[in-house]
Amino acid sequence: MHVEIDEPGRKVLLMGNEAIARGAIEAGVDFCSGYPGNPASEILETLAGVAKKLDFLTEWSVNEIVALEAAGAAACAGLRAMTVMKNMGVDVCSDFLMTVNMSGTKGGFVLISGDDPAVHSSNSELDTRNYARFADIPLLEPATTQEAKDMTKWAFDLSEELGVLCMVRTVTRLSHSSGLVSLGPITREERSAEFAPLLGTWTSGSGDYTCMFHDALHGKLKTAQEKFEESQFNWYTGKEDAEFIIITSGTGWLYSAEAVKLLGLKDEVGILKLGTTWPLPEKLIAKHLKHAKEVLFVEEIDPFLEQNVKVLAAELAADIGPIKFYGKKSNHIRSEFGAGVGELDVDTVMRGLTETMNVTYIPRDQDYAEKAEKLVGSYAPNRSMAFCAGCPHRASFWAIKRALKWDGRDGIVTGDIGCYSMAQLPTGFMVLKSMHCMGAGIGTATRFGNLKRYGLDKPVIAVSGDSTFYHACIPALINARWNKSNLLYVILDNKTTAMTGNQPHPGIGIDALGEPSPVTPIEDVCKGIGVEVRKCDPFDIDEATQNLYEMLQTEGVKVIIFSRECALTEAQKRKKKPRVYVDQDKCIGDECGCMRFCTRVLNCPGNIWDYTKGKAKIDEVVCNGCGLCAKLCPAGAIIVEEVV
Amino acid sequence: MQNIKGPDDLQRNVLDEELCTGCGACTNLCPYIDMVKANAIIIEPCGLSKGRCYNFCPRSYIDVPSLDKSIFGSYREDIAIGSNIYVMKARAKDEEIRSAAQYGGVVSALIIHALQTGKIDAAVLATSSDGVNPKPTIARSKKEVLECVGSKYIVSPTVSKVLDAIKGEMGKIGVVCTPCQMTAIRKMQDSPFETGEEKISLGIGLFCTWCFSPDTYEYIRSLVGSANILKTDIPPPPANIFVIQTDERRVEVPLDEIRKFIMPSCAVCFDMTNEFSDISVGTVEGEEDWNTVIVRTRNGERFLKSAKEAAIIETKPLEKEKFNHLCEASLNRKKRALKEIDGRKITYLTIRDEERSKIISWNGGI
Repeated sequence: MHVEIDEPGRKVLLMGNEAIARGAIEAGVDFCSGYPGNPASEILETLAGVAKKLDFLTEWSVNEIVALEAAGAAACAGLRAMTVMKNMGVDVCSDFLMTVNMSGTKGGFVLISGDDPAVHSSNSELDTRNYARFADIPLLEPATTQEAKDMTKWAFDLSEELGVLCMVRTVTRLSHSSGLVSLGPITREERSAEFAPLLGTWTSGSGDYTCMFHDALHGKLKTAQEKFEESQFNWYTGKEDAEFIIITSGTGWLYSAEAVKLLGLKDEVGILKLGTTWPLPEKLIAKHLKHAKEVLFVEEIDPFLEQNVKVLAAELAADIGPIKFYGKKSNHIRSEFGAGVGELDVDTVMRGLTETMNVTYIPRDQDYAEKAEKLVGSYAPNRSMAFCAGCPHRASFWAIKRALKWDGRDGIVTGDIGCYSMAQLPTGFMVLKSMHCMGAGIGTATRFGNLKRYGLDKPVIAVSGDSTFYHACIPALINARWNKSNLLYVILDNKTTAMTGNQPHPGIGIDALGEPSPVTPIEDVCKGIGVEVRKCDPFDIDEATQNLYEMLQTEGVKVIIFSRECALTEAQKRKKKPRVYVDQDKCIGDECGCMRFCTRVLNCPGNIWDYTKGKAKIDEVVCNGCGLCAKLCPAGAIIVEEVV
Repeated sequence: MQNIKGPDDLQRNVLDEELCTGCGACTNLCPYIDMVKANAIIIEPCGLSKGRCYNFCPRSYIDVPSLDKSIFGSYREDIAIGSNIYVMKARAKDEEIRSAAQYGGVVSALIIHALQTGKIDAAVLATSSDGVNPKPTIARSKKEVLECVGSKYIVSPTVSKVLDAIKGEMGKIGVVCTPCQMTAIRKMQDSPFETGEEKISLGIGLFCTWCFSPDTYEYIRSLVGSANILKTDIPPPPANIFVIQTDERRVEVPLDEIRKFIMPSCAVCFDMTNEFSDISVGTVEGEEDWNTVIVRTRNGERFLKSAKEAAIIETKPLEKEKFNHLCEASLNRKKRALKEIDGRKITYLTIRDEERSKIISWNGGI
């Protein structure tokens, strides 16, 4: 792996997330925790891959707050600790964040947050930079892969020096793109852990003590600000005393630089690139506001710099004179969905510049989309977002759909975050009618299932995955029982954290290193809570449907575990997959009795339509060999052949 | 083909109107329809506008003149009990069958005879593991037939099992079923769709005044607790009771008490004596060890002749008075059904105008 090459000065190609991991390695990280979530998942995976060799500790935690607490403890004990999570993970850990900021840290303590503009793999466009301001902690925003490494490393030094945790914010485009990184030395300092907080206790106190800690935190932030004024991660390029400047951070800097170059505005526009974005380096910014008459803000998601710099400009108004500000508020930086929504790109910045600087530029040929479609159309199969071939969720949701139809009371299905969120789409027969954060399926079901008093009397099914069960569903399940709700909780146990790339969880028996660890069975937890539990294989689709139906007919809180391994992990383990094919003589096709059930309704990517014959066939490359379509084929035309 | 519609019409005209008989003719044909508690449920629209589900359904439409013509070659002369060659009393000769059977054992004896002579290779019957709830099953031997003896008053999706038997390549198939189920089978045989219906070689129809919905089971349990139920029975008139025989006791419930469990679809049923069967079999008024037998088709007549010659059954003429009572009961049912159909503006039944006016104006007596 490139991340472990110990040759200072050598340039290697690293993905943004690997660069962050490398930064932690160069900082001599002792412990890293996290919960999987895109775009941040690979950071801990990368670190876990070298943890044994470099002799430090890693853990996949059960959720983000536990992860931050674990890292906080290691840092409190004097070690260098990091925790990684996606944007919404910061929500989960924020409770601890809002107190550990004040109780402080002894060792370097770094929180990596992966934001996801345009929501490539999330269900919120949360801008976690707001948490840094909210929690009064220093915030760094890398713009390049090199900075991703360098800033992570520096974050440890800064945290240690200030005695407070530091946040590094990455975004999907940085985390998942690769770039050349000049390596620094790997330092392995042998630290010893001890529980010896400065004041004897590690706490944010209460009453006056908390106020004192809070004030001390503001003092730390002041020191951070002083350091940021001199930081190598902030710089200004372009015309020295430009009247039009761009203030930008993160990937926005790359887009801005390219846009200015393409529009030939290098001699007119200055770019102030900020890497330390909370607290703001006010003196540095003031210096450039003085020569600017117009400012365009370019940043991902929220107008974070935009608002904070405007506040600063108001304070400095007497010295700097009037300035026109452009950005999200003025609607000059906007995506197809609007301002403050979606993702930046070069075209967006170019449009912002042309609209504010009286230059003309057509970012794309008018017929670009058409040409692109023509070019790509013949190669890319037309597919909608779907469960993988062989995914057990397809069977689970068909069973849920059937059971609800059998029941006939128009039941409600709530869910949350995971592959199974796609059950809102045709691939899951549009069964899922509610999706929010981790654990919200069972949490909301608790009251949907207990509103008879106000006339809502429908059966309620909550679904979650297995990893989600451990992450956030247990308190809600206890709450449901405690408050006498009526719901059926379906746990889709595919033995992995599938959506984020098959990381382990507490029910599998291995840890982040892939080493054996004790198992906490879902079934035992539910039984311990005291609810009725059944378990079945969703591929036994009639039995699964019957179980669901029966459980819908009774009152109270009930759990059914649909136990079937993720098609992807199963495929990785086995040597040969069964061969599945269609006996086209038997296939009814689009006639009465079938009407293309496999390709039209079940819609597994492995089931395809043979347009020349007017019959179904199997894409044997894509097919996973699960045999679900063969079980449901009304003509018995799909044959599953074991390959020996 | 003008009558053939699809699942949307099935939903609108049959299921939404609570006319599903639970016969199972629309299930087992495709992955879109399931049968739950004697009600067909469309899980997902298949998108077709014409289908077997609607075509086979005994409550989507019944064109009586056209069915009569295709089964019997001509339109019925007897408006009370439908086309028939002769009516008689009969009972099984085999003591073993008779002692096991609820009445004269004619149905079991005929099915066993059909299996043993190769008239059929498999029979679709209703069995019950708990003495009450029926489950359609396929029998291929005397032993298997005898496991199915006894009347079941709760509806059974027998036609879906017929479709299973057809798909299972069982050879020639015999079926014992209620009038609505027989209607579905005849519609299947009369349909332009090919389903393998030519394998159905013998249809023995049961008389039926109505069926209970599956919820009845819980009610019966509430009466007898967890006792082992041996059989349930509705003795011929004038008893007017429903009998539950457990291994501990006999519980009698006035029929009026249990009427609330009658399938809603029975209210529009026009057919008590299973008018489209080869041979129809029912009870005889006031006699517990004989059956009334109506022989309707040439196929049925030939088969019954062979059964008599082989001394499988013994027969007697049905007394005129009892025959008249049977006709009156049947006409009563038809009149009630027509009233209900007209009152609810349901259009599923087509009969000749002349027949309709005769039934409507009928005021007792034959």
